[in-house]
Amino acid sequence: MRNSKRTDKWALWAVSTLCLGIPAVFILVPILAFVLNSLWHNDAGQLVKRLTLENYVAFFTDEDMRKVYFRTVFLCLSATVTNLVVGYICALYIYRQKVGSRLVLILIFTLPLFTSYIIKMYAIRGILGHRGVINELLIAAHVIQEPITAFIFSQSAIFLTLVVLYLPFSVLPIYLAMERIPENLRLASDDLGGKESHELKHIIFPLSLNGVVVAAVFTFVMTFGDFVTPQMVGGIDGYTFGRIVYSQFGVALNWPLGSALAVILLATSVVVALLSSLLLKLGVSR
Amino acid sequence: MTRKFGLLSFITGCVSLAALVVIYAPLLTVWVFSFWKPIRVEGSLRLADFSWDSYQKLTENSEILETLRLTLTVGAISTVLAIVLSLVFSLFYWRTRGIARKAMQAIILLPFLLPPIIVGLSLLISFNEIYVRRGVLTIIIGHTVLVIPVVYKIVLNRLESINESYIQASFDLGASKFQTLVYVVIPQLGLAVTSGALLSFAISFDETLVTVFLSGSSSTLPIRLWSMMRLGFVPEINALASSIVCVAALATLLFWLVKKRVEARPRV
Repeated sequence: MRNSKRTDKWALWAVSTLCLGIPAVFILVPILAFVLNSLWHNDAGQLVKRLTLENYVAFFTDEDMRKVYFRTVFLCLSATVTNLVVGYICALYIYRQKVGSRLVLILIFTLPLFTSYIIKMYAIRGILGHRGVINELLIAAHVIQEPITAFIFSQSAIFLTLVVLYLPFSVLPIYLAMERIPENLRLASDDLGGKESHELKHIIFPLSLNGVVVAAVFTFVMTFGDFVTPQMVGGIDGYTFGRIVYSQFGVALNWPLGSALAVILLATSVVVALLSSLLLKLGVSR
Repeated sequence: MTRKFGLLSFITGCVSLAALVVIYAPLLTVWVFSFWKPIRVEGSLRLADFSWDSYQKLTENSEILETLRLTLTVGAISTVLAIVLSLVFSLFYWRTRGIARKAMQAIILLPFLLPPIIVGLSLLISFNEIYVRRGVLTIIIGHTVLVIPVVYKIVLNRLESINESYIQASFDLGASKFQTLVYVVIPQLGLAVTSGALLSFAISFDETLVTVFLSGSSSTLPIRLWSMMRLGFVPEINALASSIVCVAALATLLFWLVKKRVEARPRV
């Protein structure tokens, strides 16, 4: 009996090491290595392992880079807010249906998530492009004579594409939050003669706020870190912060600067997440 | 809360319909173009007659097919790895107390919470540091790290919903810990593991933002398509894309039907 207790203890120890060791080696250590990388010195493409803050200084002193940074934050915030508003309305629509049709509807809304991201972007480029579907339709309808370039290779093209690609990510968490609202709260409101506008304002909206926050954080983090979409539909005018980070690991080949910029990207995402949960707390306590 | 027709129903209905049109438009154009090739007649866009041409070309494009095979292999291997590791991790979290399990959970959920670009370049920098060349192995590791949080969460949810009295009963009847695990716990995880596997395979199949940092000369489908698109229009892509959409839709539908069946059965 005592012997088996001892083997149990050893087994637990071994399993704990395994369960902490594997994630530490494959997740934690790489992240630390990446943060450390942002502190190395870059000497004309050659990495010198000397601690320095120059890569961060480079960001804060380079006006062009700061401009791109703030423009990207603004772009992603607009895409996030748009998706929250549209996503909320869609979620509300689904929620107001019969229980059986809700499931089908949420499936229809989320199905595009399971189809290739890169292919959707390729298709969107085909729709928005210079000789794309929209331009051709507008010409055929005699609205315009020449194809217009407003839709492609610009910041607005990135905005539209981000909205289309990430909308299902807003609908899903908001709907899930609505679904968790206890049925009896609404029944009580019904019994007491509450109007639907009342119910919406005092029950559904406050109790679905946490879903809105999840959707907001998710959309912002995903769009802010996306560097493929801006490159595919943004062209030269579509330079975003994510693209600058990525280019440091490709053409520009300055890994320490790239890492420092990525740390800033990460910090921005964390700040947005913290601010959103703070807003939620304020909203709930009010 | 089904309501009579009202202003709110009308507005939410219209917005939802518009949203659906917008998110399905890309998929629809790909599907249409795969059968009716877009051509130019005197400068304006016309559709050619219906043909299976682009599908025919797809079956002859060995480069795409080779990449497709690699993508499926990577997806299968990382899914299996993720399931095995997630089972161990979730059982550890479920059966132990203390800070070790909390620390473990915090670390393994990170790749899901961090922007993909951070996960990708962290792994890139680390592999470079220990002189591991980029290739299939690094892609598999990246995908496994990325899908573990998803499978882990699904399996853990199921574990935590298991009634504690079944475990007690098993011990009372003289079963060892191992027997309890194999005969009482594992059989209840079927649906959770299947959902996790499907989801992680789908994520791996489509992964772009992490993979781009980890792929060397051999790359998975999204990366290959990305580089192909920079060169211009390839009709096979439309055929490939519509096939993928069809398979994904069918798989989702099938899984949903099976899930309904299983959930209708009384639980042990």
